[in-house]
Amino acid sequence: MASRDEILAWVTGVLTEEFQYTGEIQLDSDLTDDIDLDSIDAMDMTVRLEEKTGLSFKEEELKSLRTIGDVVDLIDGRL
Amino acid sequence: MLRKISRAWRIVGTGISFSVFGILGLLLAATAFPLTRIAVRDRVAREFYNQKLIHWNFRLFVRLMVAVGVLEVTVRNGDEMARPGQLVIANHPSLIDIVLLVSLMPQADCVVKKEAWSNPFMRGAISATGYLPNDAGDKLVDACVERLRAGRSLVLFPEGTRSPKGSIGPFRRGFAHVALESGATLRTVVIRCEPPTLMRGQPWYDVPDRRVQMTVDCGETVDPRKLAEGAPTRGVAARRIAAALRDFYGETLQNLMP
Repeated sequence: MASRDEILAWVTGVLTEEFQYTGEIQLDSDLTDDIDLDSIDAMDMTVRLEEKTGLSFKEEELKSLRTIGDVVDLIDGRL
Repeated sequence: MLRKISRAWRIVGTGISFSVFGILGLLLAATAFPLTRIAVRDRVAREFYNQKLIHWNFRLFVRLMVAVGVLEVTVRNGDEMARPGQLVIANHPSLIDIVLLVSLMPQADCVVKKEAWSNPFMRGAISATGYLPNDAGDKLVDACVERLRAGRSLVLFPEGTRSPKGSIGPFRRGFAHVALESGATLRTVVIRCEPPTLMRGQPWYDVPDRRVQMTVDCGETVDPRKLAEGAPTRGVAARRIAAALRDFYGETLQNLMP
């Protein structure tokens, strides 16, 4: 069982390692507009998060993700 | 007075050119494209054939615009663009950039925005040529890579939309992924349009106060893998390539400023 803070730290870690993202990351940061992820980035981020959490996400679950908070919620709801 | 007459003529000339362009497009859609559907069974051969028809159509259109005096075109190194199997990227100052580029490329795959599929002038051309719709997301990258690997040339505008007036907009990174994955020759083309015209949201009849001068400068090839050297992931590699090329375009356009 991981806390939401830990999950946020995972997500932040993935963004740093995968994209060398150095900007601010908050729960309401928009994945496209604030973090500047495109569809390929989103795929790569998903793969990394799946590795980290041992979960596997369905395409429908991923389509509705808009913010960092949505990603945290998704993982939180499944763990 | 003379200036007013000249501008009035260029509005008429632009109208004539666009009308002819539209009519030729419809004619091709009504005659040549359906004919090749029957006569050329092989899909790739048919796409090449139709792309060549569009190439000649666009050449004609450019010549018409030049002949009626609404446009002056300078091309540097244009022969290089006709080479097969290259990924051609360009900035996007005006509506007719793609027309100029394709007029220099006998074979060119293009990415067409989704809205164009519902334009009757465009629809026939798009389906006959195998142009790629841009609503496919990451599948679009795969489709582009496939074309390049098959030795076809492809035109992409990294900005994904028309450039802001006199400068360059943010780059998307799809082209960088396409370049990295395909390993195709990446050629930079710089388009300059002076005075700016046919920008995003600008109606065709809003012609500038003097004849439009367009320059198509076909530059050197770039090795995307060199630009991305040492990048730990493809996400980082694409970011480096996009940043480097956007800097290149920004600087080049800056230096070209009158």
